[in-house]
Amino acid sequence: MFRYIVNRVLWLPVLLLIISFITFALGVYGPGDPVQQLLGQRSDPETVARIRRELGLDRPLLVQYADYVGRALRGDFGESITVARGQPVAKLIARGLWVSIQLNAVAVALGVVVGVPLGVLAAIRRNTLLDYVTTAGVVMGISLPSFLTAPILLWLLSYKVRLLPPGGWDGLFSRSVILPAIVLGAGPVAVFARQTRANLIEVLDQDYVRTARAKGLPEVLILGRHALRNALIPLITIFGLMLGGLVTGAFITETIFGIPGIGRLGFRAFSARDYPILTALTLLIAVSYTLANLLVDVLYAFVDPRIRYE
Amino acid sequence: MARLLDVRNLETRFYTQDGVVHAVNGVSFHVDEGETLGIVGESGSGKSVTVLSIMRLIPSPPGKITNGEVIFEGRDLLKIDEEEMREVRGNRIAMIFQDPMTSLNPVLTIEQQITEALELHLGMNHQQARRRAIELLKMVGIPAAEQRIDNYPHQFSGGMRQRVMIAMGLACNPRLLIADEPTTALDVTIQAQIVELVKRLRDEIGMAIIWITHDLSLLAGLADRIIVMYAGQVVESAPTADIYRNPRHPYTIGLLQSIPRLDEKRRERLAPIEGLPPDLIDYPQGCPFAPRCRFAVERCFEEDPPLEKVGPEHEAACWVKPVGQEVLAAWRAAVLES
Repeated sequence: MFRYIVNRVLWLPVLLLIISFITFALGVYGPGDPVQQLLGQRSDPETVARIRRELGLDRPLLVQYADYVGRALRGDFGESITVARGQPVAKLIARGLWVSIQLNAVAVALGVVVGVPLGVLAAIRRNTLLDYVTTAGVVMGISLPSFLTAPILLWLLSYKVRLLPPGGWDGLFSRSVILPAIVLGAGPVAVFARQTRANLIEVLDQDYVRTARAKGLPEVLILGRHALRNALIPLITIFGLMLGGLVTGAFITETIFGIPGIGRLGFRAFSARDYPILTALTLLIAVSYTLANLLVDVLYAFVDPRIRYE
Repeated sequence: MARLLDVRNLETRFYTQDGVVHAVNGVSFHVDEGETLGIVGESGSGKSVTVLSIMRLIPSPPGKITNGEVIFEGRDLLKIDEEEMREVRGNRIAMIFQDPMTSLNPVLTIEQQITEALELHLGMNHQQARRRAIELLKMVGIPAAEQRIDNYPHQFSGGMRQRVMIAMGLACNPRLLIADEPTTALDVTIQAQIVELVKRLRDEIGMAIIWITHDLSLLAGLADRIIVMYAGQVVESAPTADIYRNPRHPYTIGLLQSIPRLDEKRRERLAPIEGLPPDLIDYPQGCPFAPRCRFAVERCFEEDPPLEKVGPEHEAACWVKPVGQEVLAAWRAAVLES
């Protein structure tokens, strides 16, 4: 187990090198030109060439990349070129990261705390009204995009009823969190509810549940001891992916609600082709997902006795 | 001997989208204290559904026990409430299942799975229950039981898992052990070991057994009496020796002709029973075996024969009731000649 984890951690830098190279190359060769963005459409070619030289964009790709990696290792991810010109990318990201983590953590927590019990209820009350309502809610939660739900909720709860503030960020424990948390949490709640229901229904049909019944165990024990654990184990994968998503920020939701997280930062950088920010964000997301996957594997080994990594 | 279980006119149906499945149709039989009853029949003959109905473990919906009585220790199990029934399950009647690979919970240790019944039914504390569980594992022949008890099911082989299942079943000293094809999923050598083990434990503990199988030969040294099931009905019921020596139902005769024998001089050709069992949704009028029966007469297709006495303890549901002894002898002679 320990060796497995060490092994995975040792592979991490290799993976990051590959991902960062691809991202970097995309930033350099992708459509559009950051310098054009910087200077506007009617800039004269000479200035463009000068700026390119200044930014080091005229050097060969590999040289630029090596230079980037060298700096990145020292925590220097370059400077923003358009969004917040001249500011270090590391600082910009650090500022938004904590906000995004908090907001996303609320959404994932909602998914677990609301979605799992909902799924359990729907499974044990199968084919009742409760089950049908849950299923309908799940379909909506999964299929309604945030660029639709966010404006509707804003209009309803913030404009019509004036119950909640329309946006901004006043810390985790404030009323301004509620609306974005609902918008962001709808997906996780739906996914957890659906998966829990499906898994539990399958598990309740297993031979070992029949064995437990034949022992004379009451339904509470059959559910809590024999069924639930088997049903929840596969949810770890989903949970892990969502944890990985904690730092990606919610591009649309953060932008709509004006939340200063890395989602909004990413959205802006994307619109303005601020590739130092985009490259750094992509790296961050890659690290995050890799670590989340590792965490999932380790968690599996703890909760599922059949899995022991060599 | 005292009557332990009396099943009368049991009827179980499954209400599916395709129609009503007539899984068990008026099954009656009894088990005495300490007796071993074999139930034999092919897949879909209603053996498992019958015993699951006794335990009230039919998945419902779609299943439903629509008629009958299950008198166990003087009470009708179909009439008591669910809580009382739970005290019977695993305590007075235990059950072991066909596939030991899937019948044990993969995420719980053997200890957790054996001790829960002990704590529940006998009110033992955890220490007592663990000691008893180790004792049980030793009894069913698990080596190094003290260490193995903390293992998970996947760390055991198929045969060992079935031993664990048996230990679980015997935990509370049940009066009746229902074994639903417990050796079907195992290798032949392991099968024999498990049968021997259960026989030994039966004689030590003195419980009664219902042993379900599709393999008539398996019951030879094990069962006191055998009932043969076909299409959800009992078609023949007799002491084990009578079933082998002088079967009176054509289906039982067919089953015996499809078992290879080692005691014949020359190898007989096996005679499979042609055709397929009837559709239990569109249940046939008349005898359900008639379309596959060599002895069938006109009446067989019109009227379903009732179980009738053909000997002191021997019953068969057949209008013709061929004398199996003669049929089998003639068949063997014919095979030997050809």
